Amino acid sequence: MKVLNIVLNGKAVTAKAGQTILELARENGVFIPTLCDSPALEPAAMCRLCTVQVIEGNRPKFVTACNFPLRRDAEVVTDSPEVRHGRKLIIELLMARCPTSPELQRLAVDYGCDLERFSPLNDDCVVCGLCTRACEAVTGRTLSLAGRGTAIHVDTAFQKASAFCIGCGACVQICPVKKIAMEDVDGERRIILHGRIASRVKLPRCTSCGKYFGPVIDLNQVMERMGERLIPPPNATICPECSRRNLAIKLGRRHFEQYGVFEEEGQANAG
Amino acid sequence: MSGTACACREIKSREIEIDYNLLDKIIRVDYGGNKEAMIMMMQAIQQVYRFLPEAAVQYLSQVIDVPTTKIYEVATFYASFSLEPKGKYILSVCTGTACHLRGSGGMVEHISKRLGITPGKTTSDLKLTLETVNCVGACAVAPVVVIDEKCHPKADISMLNDFIDHLNAE
Amino acid sequence: MTEAIQTAILPSEAAKIMSPEGLALFRQELLSGHDPNAPLVLVCCGTGCRAAGSVAVVDKFRQVLSGTAWNGKVVPMIKHTGCHGLCSRGPLVVIEPGDLFYQRVTVDDVEEIVNKTILNNETIARLQYKPANSKEVISKTSDIPYYAKQTRLVLKNIGKVDPTDIRDSIMRGSYSALAKVLTRMSPQDVINEVADSKLRGRGGAGFPTGLKWESCARQEGTRYVICNADEGDPGAFMDGALLEGDPHSVLEGMAICAYAIGSNRGYMYVRAEYPMAVKTLTIAIPQAEALGLLGENIMGTGFNFKVTISTGAGAFVCGESSALMASLEGKVGRPRPKYIRSVEKGFRDSPSNLNNVETYANIPGIITNGAEWYKSYGTQRSSGTKVFALTGNVNNIGLVEVPMGISLMEIVFGIGGGIPNKRALKGVQTGGPSGGCIPIPHTIPDINVGYGKLAEVGSIMGSGGMIVMDEDTCMVEVARYFVNFLFQESCGQCTPCREGLIRMREILTRITQGQGKEGDIELLEEIGNFTNSFSLCGLGTSAANPVLSTIRYFREEYNAHVRDKKCPAGVCKPLFHYEINPETCTGCGLCKSKCPVKAISGEKKKTHVIDQSLCIKCMECYKGCKFRSVIIK
Repeated sequence: MKVLNIVLNGKAVTAKAGQTILELARENGVFIPTLCDSPALEPAAMCRLCTVQVIEGNRPKFVTACNFPLRRDAEVVTDSPEVRHGRKLIIELLMARCPTSPELQRLAVDYGCDLERFSPLNDDCVVCGLCTRACEAVTGRTLSLAGRGTAIHVDTAFQKASAFCIGCGACVQICPVKKIAMEDVDGERRIILHGRIASRVKLPRCTSCGKYFGPVIDLNQVMERMGERLIPPPNATICPECSRRNLAIKLGRRHFEQYGVFEEEGQANAG
Repeated sequence: MSGTACACREIKSREIEIDYNLLDKIIRVDYGGNKEAMIMMMQAIQQVYRFLPEAAVQYLSQVIDVPTTKIYEVATFYASFSLEPKGKYILSVCTGTACHLRGSGGMVEHISKRLGITPGKTTSDLKLTLETVNCVGACAVAPVVVIDEKCHPKADISMLNDFIDHLNAE
Repeated sequence: MTEAIQTAILPSEAAKIMSPEGLALFRQELLSGHDPNAPLVLVCCGTGCRAAGSVAVVDKFRQVLSGTAWNGKVVPMIKHTGCHGLCSRGPLVVIEPGDLFYQRVTVDDVEEIVNKTILNNETIARLQYKPANSKEVISKTSDIPYYAKQTRLVLKNIGKVDPTDIRDSIMRGSYSALAKVLTRMSPQDVINEVADSKLRGRGGAGFPTGLKWESCARQEGTRYVICNADEGDPGAFMDGALLEGDPHSVLEGMAICAYAIGSNRGYMYVRAEYPMAVKTLTIAIPQAEALGLLGENIMGTGFNFKVTISTGAGAFVCGESSALMASLEGKVGRPRPKYIRSVEKGFRDSPSNLNNVETYANIPGIITNGAEWYKSYGTQRSSGTKVFALTGNVNNIGLVEVPMGISLMEIVFGIGGGIPNKRALKGVQTGGPSGGCIPIPHTIPDINVGYGKLAEVGSIMGSGGMIVMDEDTCMVEVARYFVNFLFQESCGQCTPCREGLIRMREILTRITQGQGKEGDIELLEEIGNFTNSFSLCGLGTSAANPVLSTIRYFREEYNAHVRDKKCPAGVCKPLFHYEINPETCTGCGLCKSKCPVKAISGEKKKTHVIDQSLCIKCMECYKGCKFRSVIIK
């Protein structure tokens, strides 16, 4: 495999040909914020938050770190004023669309965003596509990105409750703004988005204890999917690893408490 | 004609007679059941029913093995597809640059006001669907209005009024 | 119901051509059976003339001619053809021999034309072309300045052939370049010739065509030849005219490309709004296949190339190459974020060569006449010719083909015939929604048309839409129009394009309605630059061009809207009103008679007055006043 010489934020590093800038950055401890990226899924490069500047030859250009493959020696700048300015705008615009996301709120602080600039659109989605891509990776039969332009939105066919959903909850867990909900009511699992029931899944009944139960979510896979999506806040006192584990535990508790199948792991500090 | 689109929703939920033999001919014979030709299959189906009935979409989904949610994605992405029944007449006002400079925007406003519908919608009696289209290539005779694939050159408000009056009398 | 056009059916004795020499023989046969002195009536059935009623003219000619007693004279032929070019004078009819040009022909003129012109060689003056300031008619099409000043290479067959009869095209040389390629050139020879010609993509980006073919040819895997006929720029109809008027030039270009890059499979992606183009291709391709000029075993050489027609469904973004390929696969037309070029992985993740209709149409000429011939037209960096759709506030609206390097003023005035109604030229917009407004002649006296030159002034070549704007055009409203267009057409997947367009549209709408705020122009610049830098695809990275270029050259107009709440051009209704200038008003009463709401009052020979409370700003009085006494305030 060809080895490349990359100057990353002024520091000389080596990369494997074909590696993405995001992969290289992570290997070298350089943080690039992402929103629509997930280690379990193909990069979509939709949010554009991970945009960086790359110079191959003489002219710098803006590319998304999550999917730009390094193929020759180059210089990469991940945090120039132009890049930061673009990210600031992305966050301001997405906050106007979805003001209640804690993750975006943390980014807004970090990038000095002016949240009064743009009139609110009061949507509850940042159009990152993660839920539809996750659904596609599992069964591909429930969620898609319908519409076009400003009307783009996550939906089920004909806006009706999907008959094909298996209730795995991947969409619920992968949504970075936590706007997809899952409820188990009267033996039926419901996925709710945009204030509507997107799918109903009949839950089987345990032949032993009689309780209803849904698909068991593999926590390892959940942690994989969470991946680097958790952005450490500027004043964090625990590392992303611990933060991830604690969040997964919290999530698991929320979902599995009623089934009593979750085992308590040794907790460090609360995250 | 006055108009909200509620009649369309009623029709949509009513049983539409789907001719499955015809759908088979379109899907399997004309386009060889080829997934790549899905958009053209959908156009052919829409030609028959003047919109894409849900039952037809379900059938298409089964035959070519593409999830309904994906077909729905395609139907809502491309402007020429309609999931609601269209009117007997489709009136398209070209809003390309040349036509826009010659006042097509004003014509759209005028029809919208007179019929009480916005572009993309159909009158409640299902007589007319108003649409806008981005340049049909007849820029020399702008502004252009297309009614049922027939181009009307140098259209103006009085011509539109005549057409609507004529329709009302039908 | 589409209007029925009689289509020529290939004679049943037409046999497949089994060798390239066979094509030459076939052409000879056709030519020897064709009398160039026999009267021939060519009726334009391009979109513009068709909309003006030319199909009825064709039918009437057929009817009258069949009912006429010819008394031994040769019976004239009627052909419906593609776009003749001078659309503003349609319906157009050209009578051969003699290249006699008739304009604005109606059904009622047909009998007279047959009796006077065809039977008695008399011309009918009222149907002939007269230049603006002269009473002298110009008889020959080729003498009319509009045509004389053009260089019609790509358009050479349009208007002369019946696109539904392949024999016409063959007589004029179609498929002879393909024959040459199959007998005397290797695939690399072809690529070299195209590269030498310095032909650049005519879809707008101007990428060197030879280089693209070379890159594709080098890839492993099944290669595809794709033609982008999703001409979505509003105001552009060059590709539509080519497909409707001379489809074989495009098909031949695609076949030559296929041979060069090692492909057997071609796709023609045509936008849904061009049903006539689809119909014409649906006739042309089987005719070519029947003669062995496309399909299996072309001209008996063993080379196969099959072309399939695929239609769009109403999405401008499908003109973007990766979106087009997604659409060809039956999916939503969302551009792919990959940084891998489609020549490596495109359609079906395979190497794909995508070129514009006009690019392919240039190929047969380059092969037949050579790269040096092609470079003798145009400039160093932009060789050859370009077809433009000249529309807007210009006298001669239509299709023009000019050598690269020609001055924009020459196009507007020399060929376009200048601005109607004695208005002044304010600017020319090129490149559609991805382009910019060039402020000639006031800020920039003139500019030579070329890829680099147009980019330098903040515009792009684009696919060929060229919109002439006069002093009555509001540049802020133009920006709002294009942003609104893109707002509707954006696929919506990436933040900068989707959100950037939402906000730019919001701001421009407010400004044109008189609610502009301090800081709006700067905000537009900030969002515009952001959208152009951070978007995922070409639609997004050029979305702000109309906004940024109009701010760059017409900032004062923006200031007037935002700061003074005024629209100097008199377009944004809440920002102006009309008044009649008492010093120049002659009291002729024309405005009063034109006013649809009776808002103008005044006695004969006395100054007239507009009642502002009734005025709806329809522009009739302003446009109609011969003394320019209606002023914008």
